[in-house]
Amino acid sequence: MPCYYDLMLYSHCGTKIVKQASNTMWGFLMSKEFNSKLTDLKRYFFNESDVRKFIDFLMTKAEVIAPQTKGEQSFAYNVVKNSSDVALEYPRTMQPLKKYFLPPVETLLTFKMSSNEFSEEVIEAKKQIFFGIHSYEMKGIHLLDYCLGKGKPESNYLKRRANALIIGISYKPDKYHFATSLGIDIEETEGFALFFEKVTEGYLVFVVTDEGAELIKDFSGGKPIDEQVNIEELPQQAKIKYHYNRLPQVFEHVYNSRVWDHFADKCVGCGTCNLLCPTCYCFDVRDEVGLNADDGKRQRFWDGCMLNSFAEVAGGENFRNKLAARMRHRLYRKFSYITKSSGELHCVGCGRCTRYCPADISIVEIINSLIEDYSAQQKKQAV
Amino acid sequence: MSAQAVKSKPKVAFFDFTSCEGCQLNKLNFENELLDILELVDIVEFREAMDDKADAYDIAFIEGSISTPTCIERIHDIRRRSKVLVALGQCAVTGGINAMKNSHPSEWVQETVYGKDKYLFPSIPAQPVSAIVKVDYEVRGCPMSAPEYLHVFKSLVLGRKPEPPDYAVCVECKLKENECVLEKGMFCLGPITRAGCDALCPSNGQYCTGCRGMVSNINEKGAVDMLKKHGFSTEEAIKRMKLFNTNEVDKQISWGRK
Amino acid sequence: MLTNTTEMKDLYYPLMSDIIKVEQLTATEKRFEIALPDNQVLNHKPGQFVEVSLFGFGEAPISISSSPTKTPAFDLTVRRTGKLTDKMHELAVGSKLGIRGPFGNGFDVDFMKGKDMLFIAGGIGLAPLKSLIDYTIDKRKDFGRIIIVYGTKHPSEILFSNEIEKWKNLKDVEFHMTVDRPDDNWKGNIGVITTLIPPLEINVENTIASIVGPPIMYKFVLMSLNSKRIPDENIYMSLERRMKCGVGKCGHCQINHSYVCQDGPVYHYPKAKELEEAV
Repeated sequence: MPCYYDLMLYSHCGTKIVKQASNTMWGFLMSKEFNSKLTDLKRYFFNESDVRKFIDFLMTKAEVIAPQTKGEQSFAYNVVKNSSDVALEYPRTMQPLKKYFLPPVETLLTFKMSSNEFSEEVIEAKKQIFFGIHSYEMKGIHLLDYCLGKGKPESNYLKRRANALIIGISYKPDKYHFATSLGIDIEETEGFALFFEKVTEGYLVFVVTDEGAELIKDFSGGKPIDEQVNIEELPQQAKIKYHYNRLPQVFEHVYNSRVWDHFADKCVGCGTCNLLCPTCYCFDVRDEVGLNADDGKRQRFWDGCMLNSFAEVAGGENFRNKLAARMRHRLYRKFSYITKSSGELHCVGCGRCTRYCPADISIVEIINSLIEDYSAQQKKQAV
Repeated sequence: MSAQAVKSKPKVAFFDFTSCEGCQLNKLNFENELLDILELVDIVEFREAMDDKADAYDIAFIEGSISTPTCIERIHDIRRRSKVLVALGQCAVTGGINAMKNSHPSEWVQETVYGKDKYLFPSIPAQPVSAIVKVDYEVRGCPMSAPEYLHVFKSLVLGRKPEPPDYAVCVECKLKENECVLEKGMFCLGPITRAGCDALCPSNGQYCTGCRGMVSNINEKGAVDMLKKHGFSTEEAIKRMKLFNTNEVDKQISWGRK
Repeated sequence: MLTNTTEMKDLYYPLMSDIIKVEQLTATEKRFEIALPDNQVLNHKPGQFVEVSLFGFGEAPISISSSPTKTPAFDLTVRRTGKLTDKMHELAVGSKLGIRGPFGNGFDVDFMKGKDMLFIAGGIGLAPLKSLIDYTIDKRKDFGRIIIVYGTKHPSEILFSNEIEKWKNLKDVEFHMTVDRPDDNWKGNIGVITTLIPPLEINVENTIASIVGPPIMYKFVLMSLNSKRIPDENIYMSLERRMKCGVGKCGHCQINHSYVCQDGPVYHYPKAKELEEAV
């Protein structure tokens, strides 16, 4: 068991700020764990009204995008009109943040059919502030940065990313989150300018980058604090049976596993898992023409490898016409194929694919079944 | 048809078979686009809006299913006179709602509808147009979906193959971040129904009735099991699927039934 | 090493080019000769492809069927199979189309130098393979024997009949062909392409086999090469997949961890063998 369970005992007083005992026997246990990421950071204390005021303040600087309620029990990132609309505690939004960097529909060029001319689509890259983003979401963006930045970089995506300032927030895991199982702690701050940590009385605001420091310097609310603090680690409920760094190894051995057929039997191929995944970025390109039958746009649209026609060629051959093959491809893209070049897992444990699957297929169950299969193979070989 | 053909304006005709003519009326509702459409084509036959006739057509749009012996003669005749034939709306594409009668003995159906005059109205099982003649393209939905109709229409005027979507309504729902209606306890065929309607019903608090037919290469057992998980029996699931897709459902293998 | 010198302002902007010649090859296939603007040279490797675009009709990956030794224009051989290719067939000399590329991995011509060359083409597969065939014929002294094996379903589907006549007449080119179904005038071999492979007398250690054909063909041709004891390292193949972007982003062409638009379409067989979804 990772050592933070011991730490939890220490910080048993819940989410209250407690002074950290320095140079105690616990020190060595904290080497990689959550609080080391926050230990050296400058911090402020905000009560909730400070937080709302801070969002108002951000809105004077740029367009602010944050999670807000949608429907009866869902959340979605949207442009903030009122700071009071911002959801500070939410399990996850339906669509990931990537919709702002790689929009579901994006014009690549506009053309005129009669003259065979096209114009380049110059995108406006305005400053945007994203507030209230969870660590797994940030990781998802980092992974997209890798996929869209390598080889021939996607300039539109990179322009939008360069203009984004992202502010993180902690979250209370529900039964679908498994980010910590993949090594992404709730308090992982990489990529954020500031990080808001929920404590009982309000929020601890950690200054992560110089840009974050600038922002908070200009803001009149909140109060700086000096104490070292310790924060309760909330265990994630969904757990992967192996340490995440063993998963690529597992995937080397389960290509022909029966697990794929078992789960594909339940799958209806609706593509929800692709459409909501923070690290999926496959797309289709189509030309749309206006009603004057002359002016048109070449656009790209999000696509998904779970959809039947994804690997179908013009001649009619479908190279992945079985759901099991498509499901396997989707998971291998997350845990093996891209991992070979990036060295990272391309799943962030947000739990969206499981939470929204109409057929109740759980990605954690798939992975754990694959692990079982792998471990059975290993035992057999040992005998 | 090339750009030049656009100048000479393709002749377009609309015909209705067994249907409510709702799809045709739906076309007249494109107030914003109607004039642009009329710029592009000559409409030579359209019973809902005019009386002119012509002998040959560049594009014939067919609404309704084939459900009487005379329908068969008529559709063959139209096919002979048309360069491109498009099935318009779900009745024409799959037999639609009309095909519900196919699950019952035809004697009983005729008697129920026409009573003792049943012999005056000969009837056959409701078939899609494609069961009788070659259909080049389809516009699905009940009523046909307006954006898809415009897409097909523009494509034909430009001389290119229309490419209507063959993925599930779920895709469109997720893009709109709609809350899942299955989760709200409603019945929904969105996960296996072809998109192209921009998830109209689920976006407005309704469930998907499957009016655009099913996606290709579907996992029948998975679909029934999914609905079971949400509290619907196999029989109910199949009954509801058959509302618009009797011919498709009856053609599919067991659907998880014994 | 040939490199891509075609300049593009961004990933997705095509270079507007001219169709300078159109030739009807069969009922469904045409050859187009394309000239890039300002006499630019495509600088491709045999086996590479370009993304062809027609505004309003989209883009499609098409392999280059001429050798880089022929400049500055290049050839595309196109079968009507969809929206874009249907429209392309309506285009005449003087029409414009957009070109992006060349993309992907071509045949390793340096590795092939000095070797005997065995070409195995099924159907439309002759189009991409012709870029390499022409290359070896143009650089004849760099290569050993040239053996071309070509199969189609029916005599009416035979591509490049003029070139085939030339190849037949060349003393240093061996040409074998078969059709699955003959017509009344057919006097040649009848049967699937694999029937032509066993009788070939070749020095397996020094022969490079390059295969392009429909997906179904590979398994059988590979079996037949295997029983001839051609080492895997001496086999190259070109694979077809759905493609959209051509630049390793859109995901459509992926075979396991490999992007066909980047690592393919031409694969060295030992590499393709690692990809479970390849054949």
